[in-house]
Amino acid sequence: MIKIKYIISVIVILVQPVFLIAQVPVPANNQENPIMLVGGIAHLGNGNVIQSAIIAFENGKLTIVADATTDQTDRSRYEVIDVSGKHIYPGFILPNTQLGLQEVSSIRAMRDNSERGSINPNVRSIIAYNTDSEIPPTLRFNGILLAEPTPTGGIISGTSSVVELDGWNWEDAAHTVDVAIHLNWPSRMSRKFDFSTFTVKNEPNEDYDKNIHELEKHFNDAVSYSKLAAKPVNIKMSAMAGLFDGSKALILHTNNPKGIVESVKFAQKNGVKRITVVTGDAAWQAREFLRKNKIAVILPATHRLPSRADADYDFPFKLPFLLSNAGVVVALSHTGMLANSRNLPFYAGTAVAYGVDKEEALKMITSNTAKILGIDNRTGTLEAGKDATLFVSEGDAFDIRTNNLTNAYISGKAIVLENKQQALFERYSKKYGHSK
Amino acid sequence: MKRNLFLFLTLIIFSSRLYAQETFPRNDVLDKRENAYALRNATIVVDPETTLTNATLLIRSGRIEKVGTNVSVPVGYTELDLSGKFIYPGFIDIYTSYGLPKLKRSEGRSPFGRNPEQIQSKTKGAYNANQAIKSEYNAAEEFSIDGKSAESWRKQGFGAVLTFRSDGIARGSSAFVTLGEETDNNELLKEKAAAQYSFNRGTSRQNYPVSIMGFIALLRQTYMDAEWYGSQNPRPFKDQSLESWLQLQSLPQIFEANSWLNTLRADKVGDEFGKQYIIKGGGDEYQRIKEIKATNAKMIIPVNYPDAYDVEDPFDAENVSLKDMKHWEMAPANLAALESSGIQFAVTTHGLKNKKDFIPNLRKAIKYGLSEKAALAALTTNPAGMVNMSSELGSLRSGMLANFIITSENIFAEKAIIHENWIRGRRFRLKDLDTKDQSGAYELGVGDTKYDLSITGKPGSHKAEIKINDSTDVKVDMKLIDELITMSFEPEKEKGRIRLSGWDTDTPDGKTKGFTGEGQLADGNWVSWTATYISEVEKKEEKEEKEEKEEKDKEDKEIELGEVIYPFVAHGTSVLPKQETILIKNATVWTNESEGVLENTDVLLQNGRITQIGKNISSANARVIDGTEKHLTPGIIDEHSHIGASSINDVATNSGMVRIKDVINSEHINIYRALAGGVVAVQILHGSANPIGGQSAIIKLRWGAAPEELKIKGADEFIKFAMGENVKRSRNNNSIRYPQTRMGVEQVYVDAFTNALEYKKEWDAYNRLSSRTKPSAIKPRRDLVHETMLEIVEGKRFVTCHSYVQSEINMLMQVAERFNFHINTFTHILEGYKVADKMKAHGAGGSTFSDWWNYKWEVRYAIPYNAAIMHNEGVITVINSDSGETGRRLNQEAAKSIKYGGMTEEDALKMVTLNPAKLLHLDNQMGSIKVGKSADVVLWSHNPLSVYAKAEKTIIDGIVYFDLEKDDRLNEEIRKERARLIQKMKDAKKDGAKTKKGDSPEQIEFHCDDILGVARFVDFH
Repeated sequence: MIKIKYIISVIVILVQPVFLIAQVPVPANNQENPIMLVGGIAHLGNGNVIQSAIIAFENGKLTIVADATTDQTDRSRYEVIDVSGKHIYPGFILPNTQLGLQEVSSIRAMRDNSERGSINPNVRSIIAYNTDSEIPPTLRFNGILLAEPTPTGGIISGTSSVVELDGWNWEDAAHTVDVAIHLNWPSRMSRKFDFSTFTVKNEPNEDYDKNIHELEKHFNDAVSYSKLAAKPVNIKMSAMAGLFDGSKALILHTNNPKGIVESVKFAQKNGVKRITVVTGDAAWQAREFLRKNKIAVILPATHRLPSRADADYDFPFKLPFLLSNAGVVVALSHTGMLANSRNLPFYAGTAVAYGVDKEEALKMITSNTAKILGIDNRTGTLEAGKDATLFVSEGDAFDIRTNNLTNAYISGKAIVLENKQQALFERYSKKYGHSK
Repeated sequence: MKRNLFLFLTLIIFSSRLYAQETFPRNDVLDKRENAYALRNATIVVDPETTLTNATLLIRSGRIEKVGTNVSVPVGYTELDLSGKFIYPGFIDIYTSYGLPKLKRSEGRSPFGRNPEQIQSKTKGAYNANQAIKSEYNAAEEFSIDGKSAESWRKQGFGAVLTFRSDGIARGSSAFVTLGEETDNNELLKEKAAAQYSFNRGTSRQNYPVSIMGFIALLRQTYMDAEWYGSQNPRPFKDQSLESWLQLQSLPQIFEANSWLNTLRADKVGDEFGKQYIIKGGGDEYQRIKEIKATNAKMIIPVNYPDAYDVEDPFDAENVSLKDMKHWEMAPANLAALESSGIQFAVTTHGLKNKKDFIPNLRKAIKYGLSEKAALAALTTNPAGMVNMSSELGSLRSGMLANFIITSENIFAEKAIIHENWIRGRRFRLKDLDTKDQSGAYELGVGDTKYDLSITGKPGSHKAEIKINDSTDVKVDMKLIDELITMSFEPEKEKGRIRLSGWDTDTPDGKTKGFTGEGQLADGNWVSWTATYISEVEKKEEKEEKEEKEEKDKEDKEIELGEVIYPFVAHGTSVLPKQETILIKNATVWTNESEGVLENTDVLLQNGRITQIGKNISSANARVIDGTEKHLTPGIIDEHSHIGASSINDVATNSGMVRIKDVINSEHINIYRALAGGVVAVQILHGSANPIGGQSAIIKLRWGAAPEELKIKGADEFIKFAMGENVKRSRNNNSIRYPQTRMGVEQVYVDAFTNALEYKKEWDAYNRLSSRTKPSAIKPRRDLVHETMLEIVEGKRFVTCHSYVQSEINMLMQVAERFNFHINTFTHILEGYKVADKMKAHGAGGSTFSDWWNYKWEVRYAIPYNAAIMHNEGVITVINSDSGETGRRLNQEAAKSIKYGGMTEEDALKMVTLNPAKLLHLDNQMGSIKVGKSADVVLWSHNPLSVYAKAEKTIIDGIVYFDLEKDDRLNEEIRKERARLIQKMKDAKKDGAKTKKGDSPEQIEFHCDDILGVARFVDFH
């Protein structure tokens, strides 16, 4: 079957063969006409599914989310797209990523994610987000339409923002600016490579106390500063302000259960309003604490090895289930090779294979993430009034075999799904005379 | 008695004269003595087999003159009455660096990270080309007495040690020395006593070798070089290291392995060259005792048992691995396991933080089942025999050196004391032999005040107490040195101490017993005091004895140990799964043959093979597995893996001599995890640090089997090549290693193959010589690199080449064609889609990642359609992992070609089953479900290409190595076993055992460009 998208890309290649290889797809124009998707299986991201849905949006906002079998809306003013039997999802959200901050990670000149210094709340990822990065188009191709470019390194790495994966420049792509401050909780243990045994040894971190004291002072100062009526100019202190009025989230990074407890208590003590923890297997040990304190967690890729040799082989696979079953709110993310973050939908698929209900798993890459990042008023679910950021897939978007996008919209803009990789596929298939 | 003491002191002070050599200038008058002693009435343990009671030992001039029960003492011998005492041969430690200078810090910088590589040896002079070959080193030349260090050994009963410098792979020769403190000339008993080797490059910072497989390869080459060098007169050039190497070959060959895995590896190297090493083990031999026994090696074993971990905090305890906990429990039983397997061993203090722990640890081994005889042999006759010193040391026979110890009782008894350690007839007194028993109840009068004083305990460890008003016990600090006594006590709290100094007033007839002297009261006034013996202190002793007995009972309680599991990590089992006849009923069978996917089909596995495929198969004795709604596929084969090896990269530009096969690690948990992902076999490739990497190993994931048993017997031989950024050391701005460009990479290949052909010519010419001229001709040098290259050219070894961009791929195909062979597989091959037609024409397969890209510059044009395009062009295409994580989800990785490129499901599955079998030349026995092929199959819960599929059973050779149900039970067992051991560690801590804080070390996951697995810190592929 010759697909429309291929025709489009072939045409584009014929017209501009050189540019398409060298550049990312042209950003889409703002939505001009109201669009209505009819007959698709709509996964709303709030746990509900409409088996045959009507999804309408105009001016970039969802206007109708309804059951097609009962909805009586006059369809004449809409550009109606029949998506019968296909699946519709809210755009997936990739939190805690270096997307757009890093291109080729092995080259120093192409890394913009880690600033020097240990306390950098004033460092902002948004201004370094590169809309010309070649990676985001490959994520969109799999359904990831929003991301949280996040600074790394030091103790307070900086402030992250949420971007839409389409736009001419960062101002254009910005969805919500300065959503969260990221804090790497100092570890009590430090890891050292031991050549004599070819193993990594974990030894007490000598800098632990020093780091904690530095953090405490910084937060104490920031709390005091936030209460001042007349604030003297201080860039770092004013960057912390949003934490105490709830306008920014504090996202804590730690990989051990004590770190979870300590860091959350630390944040609570300092009056931080919104707290989330980025952690891995340790979340299981701290699950009761997390549940009672209503702290959501952002997990790394479910596709990873257990952190301990003794662990169940499938521990990372089933961790989302174990946590959500224990009452902890979970969002999924990616760690490791940045280009592989396009596999986020399949991490949700694995969570399903190991016990999570499909619609619950969807929340882990849409609405739960949106809540953590404080953007749930605009995105994360398919509900009238929210951004029209969504996509249509031929089949189940969580399964590698069937994740196959036909249409995708970011705030109503019909984005180009094909990118350099599809163009190269076409180019060389053509060279060899392979039929499609 | 006093006179005796004086005599001995005099002897000790002046005895050094006795040993002084005549050639040394004398700074005194002539004073030559024979130092003749008769040690009488002792229990003499002549050797582990022979014990004489009430016997006499005659020594003179540092040697044993006579031992026996009916020995009359000639005139002129100083007699010592040793009634109740034991005499043992002095212990021998043959694994020390005693008396040698501290190692200098290594010159040069580590080849890791950002330093320029050190290509040549930095050893000055006419020595070996490799800095880690230090055979020229002769410990005797540097040996010098180190009194303080010698004393620490003597206190543990040692009288002689073998000493070597712990530097290098070939470490030169060791010296055998006694632990006295005369002149160096006297203590050095034997120079060049043994040749020493290790898997440790020591201070060398040369860039090759850096891995265990490199160390092994260097040893191999050095054996060959030495033979070639030694066969020529005159020598082709001077290599003093090889000269020494040749000389040392007739000595005992001692190899430091430090773990059972390395012991097996060292022994294999020895077998290749007709050497049987004496191997220094790691104390973990019990984990594979059968294989250790099969080496036939004599072993030197440390007794440095690990401390318990502090597991009070359950969160922290999670970071301690089952392996470490089990080893903590079982390490003391290691020597018993060696003994019961009939392995000859010596014990060493090596590895102990504190030598004081040596005897207690050995006693612990006895509690854990080691016989006292074997323990004694491990301290005396065995080490003496291993280094050919049995005629001088190790037992107590006439003519042998007078090295022995005197103990209070059986040395292995808990409270036995070593009184004296005699070394070459020279007496070192550790605890006085003739300490008087001063225990008893005394009346103590200090001025006008009377106290009840009781002295309790055994001679040498007396304790004192006073009783005030029959009720309050006050502790007395007391020191008894010979006949002098010092006491201090505080009769009333906060009222100051009374301090007494005095001497005993015992009469020789024993009628009067007591002390007297002068003292100072708290107020500073001087006062006279006396203590008069009244009676024994019976009651107290009874109580003490009772306590002692209770303690002993506690210790004698049978020691309960967990089971040895294979492999010795969590998810290992004490009983390994067995081959079964298995009938899988009613499954969806993905045959990978022309039959395609068969619904509702049965498959019978017998004797490790697939024997029937069809409907309604029955088999009387088969275990039936219901496959309804399940999918049966051939086992997954990972063409590019780094699991299951102890090292991955060496760094020589041409590392063709190193072999992954030498370093298979059967114990890595990632093997189990891969099994759980349906993987049955992997090719373990060398890393990509060099244009020509090491030789590959192909293994089946036979979880629990020993390293050798993992290898697929008869499989073709492969080697790893690599091109591009890693090979150019692109991440090291200071790298100086050739090549630095892709242009240079071509030259490396051309050079290697050209040299190999020249090498062949040289050998052909030699082999053509007539039998008459051959013996007089110079035999060419064997070179393992050239031989490997020649195997490639001759089609006996196949190349898997790490490659990314089209230019380099085309280059290598051209080089291969120029030398008349073809590249078997391009791995990674992320631009394979650009040159698929050329690959097809050349006959190369492509083994690629599914969707990796942009992690380095050379992969910015990588596309997830690569596999589909190569496949469409007719290239045999494989999806590989290069990662322990991806390696357990290869079915999903294959499915990505359905998404990216529209491949059919059957073709996608073939990319991780049949196609890798083809590229590894194993498709005659693996890769499809076909009668006659190996029973390597996986039963999946769903369509295997779905993200929702789980491997439920992974079967290799008809043996179920992974079973999802059994996995649940295993997890439960692991939890229980951990809980038991945590409890035991807590109990041990309560009973006063040392504990350490911290986590178990983490095993490293290797990637392609790892050097020794540093990739966790530098993540790239």
